[in-house]
Amino acid sequence: MKKILLFFITILFSLNAYAVTNVTFWHMEGVPHRVDRIQTLIDEFNSTNPDINVTQEVQNWGEIYAKAPASVAAGTAPEILVGIPDFTPILADMGAAQPVEDFVAELDSKYGFYQKALDQYTYNGHTWAVPLWNMGLSLWYRKSDFETAGIEPPKTWSDLKKAAKALTKDGVYGIGLPGNKQLYTDQTIYSFMVNSGAEEIYNSDGTLRFDNPQTVAAYDVYKELYQYSAPDAANWTWGEAEACFASKGCAMILQFTVISTYDSQAGGDASDLGVIQIPYANGKAHRAGTVSYVNSAMIMTADEAKMEASKKFLSFLMEPGNYGRFINMEPGLFLPITEAGSKDSTYWDDPVVVKYKSQVETMLDNSTRGSLFGFTNGNTFTSISSISAQNLLAQTLQLTLIDGKSAKDAVSEGMEIMTEAIE
Amino acid sequence: MKKNNIEGWLFVSPLVIWISLIILVPIYIAFELSLFNVKIIGTSGKFVGIDNYIKLFGKSKFLNASLNSFYWIIGNAICQTFFAFTIALTINYKFPGKKIMANWIILSFIIPTVVVVVIWKLMLSSSSGVINSVLIDIGLLDEATGFFSSPNKAFISLVLINSWRWSPFLALIILSGLNSINREMYDASKVDGANFVQQFLFITFPNLKSVLFVLGLVGTLLSFNIFDIIWLITKGGPSSATTTLPLLIYETAFTKFRISQAATLSIVTSFLLLLFSIIFIKSMAPKEDD
Repeated sequence: MKKILLFFITILFSLNAYAVTNVTFWHMEGVPHRVDRIQTLIDEFNSTNPDINVTQEVQNWGEIYAKAPASVAAGTAPEILVGIPDFTPILADMGAAQPVEDFVAELDSKYGFYQKALDQYTYNGHTWAVPLWNMGLSLWYRKSDFETAGIEPPKTWSDLKKAAKALTKDGVYGIGLPGNKQLYTDQTIYSFMVNSGAEEIYNSDGTLRFDNPQTVAAYDVYKELYQYSAPDAANWTWGEAEACFASKGCAMILQFTVISTYDSQAGGDASDLGVIQIPYANGKAHRAGTVSYVNSAMIMTADEAKMEASKKFLSFLMEPGNYGRFINMEPGLFLPITEAGSKDSTYWDDPVVVKYKSQVETMLDNSTRGSLFGFTNGNTFTSISSISAQNLLAQTLQLTLIDGKSAKDAVSEGMEIMTEAIE
Repeated sequence: MKKNNIEGWLFVSPLVIWISLIILVPIYIAFELSLFNVKIIGTSGKFVGIDNYIKLFGKSKFLNASLNSFYWIIGNAICQTFFAFTIALTINYKFPGKKIMANWIILSFIIPTVVVVVIWKLMLSSSSGVINSVLIDIGLLDEATGFFSSPNKAFISLVLINSWRWSPFLALIILSGLNSINREMYDASKVDGANFVQQFLFITFPNLKSVLFVLGLVGTLLSFNIFDIIWLITKGGPSSATTTLPLLIYETAFTKFRISQAATLSIVTSFLLLLFSIIFIKSMAPKEDD
């Protein structure tokens, strides 16, 4: 009898030892080579961690705002969800995103997160996600265009207006600026707001401070520059702007990166590709900055085993040697957010990064001065999700670009729309 | 109840139950949701009674989207009827390559919407689009124009793209109606000296009444519910100029995160469509003696 009992106990322990914890990883990087790179890393992780099985499921940005809350409600949420800062408050509010400050502190002690990366996910006494990589908007141009026109790359708004005017000729648009009610336009207008000192959307008490002279100045200069943009820019997203630059239809654009399309579709002359900090309002050099998006991973499970497995996988991704390969799923787009990651040889050894090293260094430098509307100086409130999800910065811009209102009136009306949205 | 009636009910009951499940249950859930103030799907909200309905009618966005939907239906009805009749009448005549043409035009209906969108966005691009180049070359434009840059241009462009996509399908339905018209009527009218326009007005059109009735009803409902093309091209912009009611419902639910308000909009929209259908059927249905 004892032998039989022992046999069953052994079987039971063996089964337990081989129990596999499944972790589903949702991300929105659906480009095939990005999916391949993530799969390579997942395969490596799974092979060295037989008790964990990570699988990736590709989602898209267009649907994820609707799909993620629905999946939480239906009980089918993934264990890990990649997101951007303005998405996190919704899921934190629902009780789906788990606080991860202890885990982030542990990673921070090993790899050293840039403070700006943590700012975008730290509020209400918790850190809500693990920063993965950064993206910062820069101004891209061709050096030869400026040489031909006999002008210097712009530093201030005045320089930028002069350059846009000078470069608009022979069917070329001086600058490609979007006017769509879409995230790209939110990003471009906010990068002007940052450079005029209007990066704060909220007061510390949660009320809005959007309607102020600095914001009006940013909207005003945008409107002036928009006349040098392509006529269909009111319908642009990132792709159209990049295509316009690659085809030499636009002399300058604001973009996270153009390296991939420039390299594959525009000749790929690295020495002619210029990238600089987005120009600042006259006399506001100390305000120089940009919009930056720190992409992160939210842990969406409270199950102890799944949470531990998720942390183990994320630790694996953040480890130098893996990290560089991870963010180089799209070389020259995703930027490191840790000190260790910035020195990771697997990041700098990628052939594309080697070829465009000076541009990547400038992008990295710009991104460290990046901020994001609604996530500045600790003045973060969950209602920012309503403002960003509805693209209200861009909607306000359309009031002046499309409806022809003055920047002052547009910003004033935008403030009313935002106030209603966050009620 | 007669035996035949019982058998009839038994035969249709699976369908009636199925339709009840997939239509009435969601409508009931939406109605219930509209009486609360739920923001994000899956969370709970406070009971607010008919507050959402009262607020809805005071909102300019609702009025704007309703008007856009109305113009959208009218614009599409005019364009699609014109294109569909042109195609159907053309194919109805015998000419070399007729079969190839009939197969070719249906392509616009077969290819996925996302491909349609990519094709048209590329063709209408102001920096590299072929349509701008052609219009400049033939002297209709001095410089490239943005087809989605202003409210009116964006709206008209969308109507034309949507009509391009759906007209061939409607043309095939009209063509089937044309084929059912007795050819002898045309031959007799020719003997009487009727021209093409007279033939169309007094033979073709009256004989297509049943087909046109179905097209009018189904086509309007289909046009009203178009979401994908508008969302993928303009997302309702610029400046909400192309935001129709289906887009407003989606935006309210999934970008504003006001699920109860979206449910209210859905209920009101369903009611409006039901009302339209009843009025249309009562007033336009072909009579027995037609």
